[in-house]
Amino acid sequence: MMVETRHLCKKYGSKTAVDDLNLTIAEGELFSLLGVNGAGKTTTIRMLSCLSTPTSGEAFVSGCNCASQAKEVKRIVGISPQDTAVADHLTVLENLTFMADLYGFSKEKTEQKVAQMIADFRMEEVANQRAKSLSGGWKRRLSIAMALISEPKLLFLDEPTLGLDVLARRELWRVIEGLKGMMTIVLTTHYMEEAEHLSDRIAVMISGRIAACGTLAEIKTAAGAKDLESAFVTIAEKEGAI
Amino acid sequence: MNRIITFSRRNQKEILRDPLSYIFCLAFPLVMLGVMTVLNASIPKEAGMTVFRIENLSAGVAVFGQTFVMLFTALTVSKDRAGSFLVRLYATPMESIDFVIGYMLPMLIISLVQTALIYVVSLIISWIVGTALNPLGLLLSLLTLIPSALMFIGFGMLFGTLFSEKSAPGLCSIIISLGSFLGCIWFDADATGGAMLSICKALPFYYCTRSARSAVALHFTTDGWTIPFLIVSACAVVLIIVSSRVFSARMKADLA
Ligand SMILES: Nc1ncnc2c1ncn2[C@@H]1O[C@H](COP(=O)(O)OP(=O)(O)OP(=O)(O)O)[C@@H](O)[C@H]1O
Ligand SMILES: [Mg+2]
Repeated sequence: MMVETRHLCKKYGSKTAVDDLNLTIAEGELFSLLGVNGAGKTTTIRMLSCLSTPTSGEAFVSGCNCASQAKEVKRIVGISPQDTAVADHLTVLENLTFMADLYGFSKEKTEQKVAQMIADFRMEEVANQRAKSLSGGWKRRLSIAMALISEPKLLFLDEPTLGLDVLARRELWRVIEGLKGMMTIVLTTHYMEEAEHLSDRIAVMISGRIAACGTLAEIKTAAGAKDLESAFVTIAEKEGAI
Repeated sequence: MNRIITFSRRNQKEILRDPLSYIFCLAFPLVMLGVMTVLNASIPKEAGMTVFRIENLSAGVAVFGQTFVMLFTALTVSKDRAGSFLVRLYATPMESIDFVIGYMLPMLIISLVQTALIYVVSLIISWIVGTALNPLGLLLSLLTLIPSALMFIGFGMLFGTLFSEKSAPGLCSIIISLGSFLGCIWFDADATGGAMLSICKALPFYYCTRSARSAVALHFTTDGWTIPFLIVSACAVVLIIVSSRVFSARMKADLA
């Protein structure tokens, strides 16, 4: 198992952001967390990438405990945060090199990885442009490429296509599909078609809890719906979220 | 070690590619150097005003410049905290010591280059006005100002860590005003004496200027150089320790 959580909870004061989460994600899987604003998707990802300490329960990444073995976990995971996180005054090339250097890659390996990222994300034309001057879509691609450069075994993509136009979104889907199988990917989204299009398995998160989890077909069957959107609405109604 | 160097290089690039850095950290102090020299020329000798003479002005402006290095340290840290860039780095093997040294190192280098440039221009001005400064004195003053630079960088780290991108610059400008006034950069408290002098002596800024000026004059007395230098060094140590502790605590709280 790549990811395993046991009764994982996160409370902020009296507000429960994540409630008794029990998840298992297999190696190589593309797993989507689908949920509305405030459902607890980002909080879940933060706990799994050692950016937040659970209030109770445990989380394991590749068998390492996220709380007590943070060092090991950080070597395995890559994260593309919900808000694009790039160094504004550095160029695309420099941003990528910066990340590779942080992981202590050799000069040759850094150069090779940077070149590969530029090619995979088709960033040749903006390679020498400063991040500050990139459009939102390019920034997001760069932000994802920065998460990938450390060769993570587990990649977290927090709303990777937020704010992208239709074409940019399709282009990013193509990139994500290209990554499938090479690593385990956990993706959050509130776009049904995105979850439908990309995922091996989907978890529907409502108010910090997993309301349904399985393959697209399993979720549709369980909810007795013909597509993911109606399944989502049915599940949300059942959970009393609407 | 490689993480510190990588992060330092990034910070240095971020600052050196921002035109504002040059305006505040370099152009502004140099303009002050020129303006005050011109002003000094029109002050009658009988007035006994010595603070704007190049032998005093150079070290004063150098300390003034360092207060802007503080501002840019605060800006860099608070900007990184405001976006999710730090969050991204928290998820890498970066540790709090890597962050702290990685922020301070480039600022120290920038500060040294800044002081060196201010002193080169001072030297040229001193030739023009005919009271040649001793290059060795300027060099020793540059070294004397290292603890002072670290102290201001510590202040910057502290403000950048504790306050937002919006309030940190405001707080820095308070220190800039306080520092340049009570640091006796633009006026001579020793001549004024009284309560004013006591207040100046209660704060570290006065000692920054005093030790740097003494060094320029090669005036290495206990009272003129050693004690002020030790006071500034002690303040630098305190601020570096406090600011790195606060940064680590903040990082821990962010990861709670
Ligand atoms: N640092 C925090 N302090 C207090 N409450 C928080 C904090 N972070 C998240 N929350 C709360 O936890 C809940 C879950 O937030 P989270 O960011 O995980 O949702 P999300 O599913 O990612 O939403 P979105 O789609 O808007 O990104 C929200 O109600 C939010 O207000
Ligand atoms: Mg979120």
